[in-house]
Amino acid sequence: MKRGLFLASTVSAALTGCGPIANTVANNPTWQKILSSVEPLNHGLIGTRGLARNYSDSAVDTNFRVNGFATPSDSHYLGLVARHFSDYRLIVNGAVERPQAIEYAKLLRMPRQTQTTRHDCVEGWSAIGKWSGVRLGDVLDAVGPRPDARYAVFHCMDNDGSGNLYYESLDMHQAHHPQALLALTLNDAPLDPAHGAPVRLRVPTQLGYKSAKWVGRIELVSSFRSIGSGQGGYWEDQGYEWYAGI
Amino acid sequence: MRLIYRYGWVLRISHWLWALAFAVLVSSGLQIFNASPNLDASDKSNPARRVLAIGAPAQGVGTTTIFGHAFTTTGWLGWTDDGQGSRGVHAFPAWITIPGYQDLAGGRRWHFFFAWIGALCWLAWLISAWWKGSLRNLVLRPSDVPKLWPMQAYYLHLRPEPPEHGLYNPLQKLSYTAILLVIAPFVVLTGLALSPGIDAIANPLTIVLGGRQFARLWHFAGMMLLLGFFAVHVFQVATQGIVNQMRAMITGWYRLDKGETAGP
Repeated sequence: MKRGLFLASTVSAALTGCGPIANTVANNPTWQKILSSVEPLNHGLIGTRGLARNYSDSAVDTNFRVNGFATPSDSHYLGLVARHFSDYRLIVNGAVERPQAIEYAKLLRMPRQTQTTRHDCVEGWSAIGKWSGVRLGDVLDAVGPRPDARYAVFHCMDNDGSGNLYYESLDMHQAHHPQALLALTLNDAPLDPAHGAPVRLRVPTQLGYKSAKWVGRIELVSSFRSIGSGQGGYWEDQGYEWYAGI
Repeated sequence: MRLIYRYGWVLRISHWLWALAFAVLVSSGLQIFNASPNLDASDKSNPARRVLAIGAPAQGVGTTTIFGHAFTTTGWLGWTDDGQGSRGVHAFPAWITIPGYQDLAGGRRWHFFFAWIGALCWLAWLISAWWKGSLRNLVLRPSDVPKLWPMQAYYLHLRPEPPEHGLYNPLQKLSYTAILLVIAPFVVLTGLALSPGIDAIANPLTIVLGGRQFARLWHFAGMMLLLGFFAVHVFQVATQGIVNQMRAMITGWYRLDKGETAGP
């Protein structure tokens, strides 16, 4: 019995000591680099291949759960909403031969892809939506990426309330995935602001935070280090992995 | 009494590294679970198919709902310590999670790193055990099945002597075979099925498991089985010559008691 008590008290002492020790270790930058060292491995092994499953229309969540922030607050963006995006332009520029500013009406007339795919949130939940829009690869091919274009950066039109605009990025291989979509509609209706109107990215082979909402400009760059905090996206700047396939 | 060299260095190192990895994987896994503290037996999230839900229906009240039956678990689950000096809406308490406060991104980094450690340890052990031929001693065979009950009867003091066996007794073979060759790979596969990138490469994996949320449920259930094994394992080591067992797993040398044989 005494040995049992001794063991129990040792174990509980070890457990209560674990929290603070783990927190100190967790915040050590070298240790964080070690932990993150498997990200390139995961990216290399899983990468961007195969196709996300296409579901039948009956699988759709008619009340599709909103991920991230639900109520855009940026005044420029709210003005566009009030004018029904009549003066919205999707800007595509950066390391390209022919920069473009594509009107919303023109986007709506472009050849469409429709996909009914599952949105997997990093938090753990999943929802299925029917998305329709323009293939990202087609838009990028039309502007002629220059050889130094390695990433497509998606600049969003809303900020997080502290003045930081959302943004995301894909490498050119991911951007040309056949299911990478600039979605204009969800479940056969134009996107509403909560779901990313007028244009949101859909990348069904990666977690939901890659699927940036409120896309206003696509910039092709050779490196995203000078954008935001340099990690390639708003959520990446908060510590999430750039490669969101896992 | 005789000392035998029972555990090789690959086995010993992988055992302890695996123990460390398992502890981190459980704690960081609960951190990840906390970001969406529900488990559904479905592909997409579906409250109608909810098996487990941990939440706080009101300020100061934590509940755990299993198959629709709600239990008050304030302080333990649902409304718990947030790791910053107060209580709040937290499925698993901060003292059991890594990091010891709400941090999904941090939990994921720990989880993916130690998933590699755990998987590589398992692979190193498997190759080494196969190479040395010791895997044969461990795997449950049809001829062991009739000995399972006599062995259990011996444990329950219903029989004076254990049935004749090799290095591991039939119940040990059953549990090691189940854990090392069935449940451990199962937990890895159910974890992989949660990745949208892997789902795109291997749709059938997720489909066979019943979908992504179902895979999350299986992954959690696999962890519970491993925890159950861990509890039994620690109990047995503690009650059956803890010094001898610990020495054997640290130095490799195991003391044979009367009646025990070194194996075939």
